[in-house]
Amino acid sequence: MKIALLGNPGAGKSLIFNQLTGLGVEVNRYPGSSVAIECGPVCYKGEKTEIIDLPGIYSLDGSSEEETLVRTFLTSGGADVIAAVLDATRLERNLYLFVQAAEFSPKMIAVINMIDDAERQGLFIDEKALCSLLKVPVILTAASEGRNIDRILPVALGEATRAGVQVPYDHHIEAALRSLEKNIGTPAHVNLLALQGIGDDPVLLDAAGAIAHEIELRHHMSVSQIIATNRHNFARQITAAVVRQSAQKKPYDLDSLLTRPFPGIPILCMILFLLLLSVFVIGSWMEGIVVAAFTTSVITPFTTLSLPPLWDRIGFSLLVALQAGFGIAFPFVFSFYIGLSLLEDTGYMTRAAFLADRAMHRIGLHGEAIVPMVIGFGCTVPAIMSLRLLKTRREQTIAAFLVTMIPCSARTVVIAGIVAAFVGIAWAFSIYLIVFVLLILTALVLGRTTPGEQFGMIVEMSTLRRPQARLVLAKSWIRIKEFLFIAMPVLIVTSIGLGLFQYFGWTELFEQLAAPVTVTLLGLPGYASTALLFGVFRKELAFETLAVLAGTADLGSVMTGVQLYTFAIVSVLFVPCVSTIAVLYRQLGARIAILTSFYTVFLGLFIGAIINILMK
Amino acid sequence: MQPSLREDYLEAIQLFFKKNARPPHTGELASGMGKPVSMVHPDMEELVSAGDVTVSAEEAITLTAQGQRTGESVIKKHETLQCFLSEILGMDSSTASEEACTLEHAVSDETIDRLGQLIVTRDRSRHHRQGKHAIHEGDRRTGEESGDSCQSYSISDFSEGEHVIIQCIHGRACAQRLLDLGLVPGERVTIKRKLSNGALLLQVKGCDVALGPEITSAIGVERSP
Repeated sequence: MKIALLGNPGAGKSLIFNQLTGLGVEVNRYPGSSVAIECGPVCYKGEKTEIIDLPGIYSLDGSSEEETLVRTFLTSGGADVIAAVLDATRLERNLYLFVQAAEFSPKMIAVINMIDDAERQGLFIDEKALCSLLKVPVILTAASEGRNIDRILPVALGEATRAGVQVPYDHHIEAALRSLEKNIGTPAHVNLLALQGIGDDPVLLDAAGAIAHEIELRHHMSVSQIIATNRHNFARQITAAVVRQSAQKKPYDLDSLLTRPFPGIPILCMILFLLLLSVFVIGSWMEGIVVAAFTTSVITPFTTLSLPPLWDRIGFSLLVALQAGFGIAFPFVFSFYIGLSLLEDTGYMTRAAFLADRAMHRIGLHGEAIVPMVIGFGCTVPAIMSLRLLKTRREQTIAAFLVTMIPCSARTVVIAGIVAAFVGIAWAFSIYLIVFVLLILTALVLGRTTPGEQFGMIVEMSTLRRPQARLVLAKSWIRIKEFLFIAMPVLIVTSIGLGLFQYFGWTELFEQLAAPVTVTLLGLPGYASTALLFGVFRKELAFETLAVLAGTADLGSVMTGVQLYTFAIVSVLFVPCVSTIAVLYRQLGARIAILTSFYTVFLGLFIGAIINILMK
Repeated sequence: MQPSLREDYLEAIQLFFKKNARPPHTGELASGMGKPVSMVHPDMEELVSAGDVTVSAEEAITLTAQGQRTGESVIKKHETLQCFLSEILGMDSSTASEEACTLEHAVSDETIDRLGQLIVTRDRSRHHRQGKHAIHEGDRRTGEESGDSCQSYSISDFSEGEHVIIQCIHGRACAQRLLDLGLVPGERVTIKRKLSNGALLLQVKGCDVALGPEITSAIGVERSP
């Protein structure tokens, strides 16, 4: 048996999913889609059941990747039972999706979640009345307290029925549905989609298009508007029949602080600053421990094995890649994810997006782009993955360029390790300043030149609530797995490649070839080119390799301040690391991946050369 | 009571209400319809028992939801018919109005729809032919006639704390998501917050939705009472 959880974003699906399945979760990707679907096996009364957490959506009629995916899932009968999760405090809006899903006539149950919040707001939901109106079993749950969650499985497996609700559509729409059914023989839910131009049967789309045009002329409204209005009105009728509101004193609304420019924007800046600061402090502390532990327990024993030199080199590179992956993944990325999941689960990120809309418009984006930007300070790879939030190609392209330029935690390590340590704190901050100025200039140019349309921000504010430790951890865990899945293979392959490169003695050749650039243009010592090359692999390796090649950890004694400064700024700016290039390629295609790489290389060398000329 | 008389009363009350923004008293209604007050009194009692109106102690006559619906529909029929008779058939406007008064009680919704359609299409083709003058005339008329051709305000013209009713949504790209979030024509929304760049935080169907300025400019609304 397969049970799929369907619902609006923020209806509490993930929490229910987590309570039903525990941590044995798999993340599946559907072919041709970057949307993740989480699956978890459970055993109920000796029967193996799979729970599927579908992505949160508002409607089945849209064309976003999530909506298309869930629609295909429903039409292809991906699950035996659909458990529709509805937010009790927003029942009317949530029923809109329910009545749509019911049209696909799967076996359903309705899980009315967050009943505890509803009770606090003085809302009473008549379970029996709702049950008889929807004609499916109804369970009132409070996932945050675990209330009634244990009833979901037995009811879903034993009592799920095909929902008997039918939206009364406008009589022109009903007539169109009948005529399409009669002439082409397709069922009502397919015809409804076809009237809105969705589907893959050209004959049906053609016929539906002609009817839709006629209806639109008569109503002065698009068919989608008529259908949506009918469904919303129907959802309103059901809600009116089952929900009683008792007078309740309004609790203090934090939003009166959070969504106002003042003090909202200072609060936003402070929260983001604290997030980055704590990730950096905790991350570097943990990285020290992870790297040291890895060195003493794995790498040192390995070097004493005295394998043949080639194998020694390959094995060593593999281990260094693992060390690099875990050394950055867990301390920085994981702790950043925990912070981010916390912010998301409190519902704060939606407020941040609203407040940031104005500033983001200046750089050709809109409020929702703040999420990838913030993630970019932690690690570029997940930031690129989250670009899916932005709806048009134009917005994704601009944001991709900016996100690759944002100093991620690894680049922060370079800045701190080289400039702050040997040149001075103020100089370290000046690098940030240069990067941000370049970022804004890039954005201004891209905003003018990138073709495509601006979509704009449409975000539903999630309810402010206390985050659940369990859910935050589970969410971060799934994300870190995804990160490792993308970054690890790339790290290992590149590391072995570079190891062989050194083994065959090509580094000197490379240094000679690169000398015109490194020595003449940038005024750096010859071995800096190898360090920069390693920086492509993982940014803070640039710093570590430089120390190894210079033969001393006290870089100040072998390079001048200007050289160190130039080196840092070049390695911070130029080329996103290989994992970033890989994920750029996967999310946005080869063209953008190549363009951003070349652009950042050019930018790094250009700024480096200017600094070299000006300060020499 | 004759159905046509009932419709006349409801129409008159609704018109009075629209014009003066308060419900009429029995005396005002009677003089407006050219009837003696003594005749109006028993009729009102009948309308009260039919659930169309409520009469307060001060004799102010308020329409119920049902009465308002009927009143509105009769007004719309009257306007469409009058427009059809005068503009398309070329009758003089006072005769057209009298004629419309009689016809409005018998005509079906379907006919009115089609007539409205005809007027709009004719206006459009005329404005193609005749240029500027006709555009103004056409826009004004379709606006009055059906209320759904969107000459209303953009939601970004309103300020924080105001309540508005959605009239229409232009543009295709963002429309579907807005519809799904409950921003459908006829929906009453509250503007909870407005930022200086025109981004809005709206309360719709009990949920808060944040919209960027490029989205809000595509939403046509009217002030909610």
